[in-house]
Amino acid sequence: MKLELPLLTSFGAHLSDGYEAADFRRKEVDPYVDFAEAIVFDFTGVRTANSSFVNALVSGLVEQHGTLIVDKVVFKGCSPVIRVLVRAAIELGMQKIAGRVDA
Amino acid sequence: MIEISLPAQLNAGRLLPFLAALRESKGSDVRLDFSRLQRITPAGLVALAARVDRWRKQGSDVHSSLPDCPIAWYLDRMSLPQSCGWEGLNLASWPVTGRRHVPVRYINQHVDQMGQEIAACLAPGGEDFEHPMSGLFDFASYVFTETANNTRQHSAGNGFAAAQATRTDGLIRLAIADNGMGIRQTFADAGFDWATTCTDADAIRTALQPRMSCKAGEPNEGVGLTLVAALARLTSAWLLIVSGRGVLRMNQGAAPIISELPDDGTYKGTIVAMTFPERDARAFSELLHRAKQEAGLLQLPKLNIRFET
Repeated sequence: MKLELPLLTSFGAHLSDGYEAADFRRKEVDPYVDFAEAIVFDFTGVRTANSSFVNALVSGLVEQHGTLIVDKVVFKGCSPVIRVLVRAAIELGMQKIAGRVDA
Repeated sequence: MIEISLPAQLNAGRLLPFLAALRESKGSDVRLDFSRLQRITPAGLVALAARVDRWRKQGSDVHSSLPDCPIAWYLDRMSLPQSCGWEGLNLASWPVTGRRHVPVRYINQHVDQMGQEIAACLAPGGEDFEHPMSGLFDFASYVFTETANNTRQHSAGNGFAAAQATRTDGLIRLAIADNGMGIRQTFADAGFDWATTCTDADAIRTALQPRMSCKAGEPNEGVGLTLVAALARLTSAWLLIVSGRGVLRMNQGAAPIISELPDDGTYKGTIVAMTFPERDARAFSELLHRAKQEAGLLQLPKLNIRFET
């Protein structure tokens, strides 16, 4: 099973609220992680995002499910800015797991 | 009755003595004299709006001499009368100045939508990825949403935002002010014992360190203000943060200077004001990448991340 998550449909074109992202992850992503062969965060049509949103969505996922989760996640339709945010969010999740960040 | 006379110039360093003068009303009525005011920045506008809102909450009536102000047309265009509840003043009409401006606005729960609208105003056309203003659109949206989220989620007060782009000097001025508990108290409420004894200036300095969140646990990662400051440094911007007695100033990207408000003044709430050159903000993805690197948030040389178009 592939878990497709079109973020434009869920949040619109501008993503900024970390609380919304964390709530979405807890309800729409976390319960399916063990069953999904792939998790696709589809940013197609998303115009802007900030660190609060992407960190809550992505670094939280890595922190909750471990670094191997990265192997089954696909980030689709990312603008250059969102790519930077995703990279940093994954790294933050990894750092948290490694115990280097006490956030 | 508390009488406060606004100075002729309410910008840059002149803002700090004015903020110090905006003391608690303790229920007394307040009268603001605008008759000398000739220039005010968005930082001054939002600080005033936030303060008037706080005075009203304290039960004070707040009066103004706005019709006597030499720049009443500008204050009207920037919606200061509406934001402060001084409507129906029949002020002079607006001259055409060719500026892109965002009038003073209350920061509501729709921060993402406000960010889009503010960015569209400062960077017209930038919503389109291919447009030359695209990077500026991203920059303005990012700085606003990260700062406004702090106001909404941490301050427990009301926040106001305003901005303007000035064609003559090529600068964008973006300011947010709230009348909440201030940075130090948000740390204290989050359980940081050191925040009960540190100064407001120390709390501001701490808030700029990466991963110092005012609320423990997810989704707060404590990088919002850190990256805003890093972006200010990378664009040689001016950054002003005022919270309580504390003041942080960064001049054209130089090392931050920490100080306190003059005259034992205290600003009840937090102000974040950034003035940045429009041309330097346009390569936003590169700026953000560098800002994350400098903050230690992008250190691994290679991550195997699957990006698809």
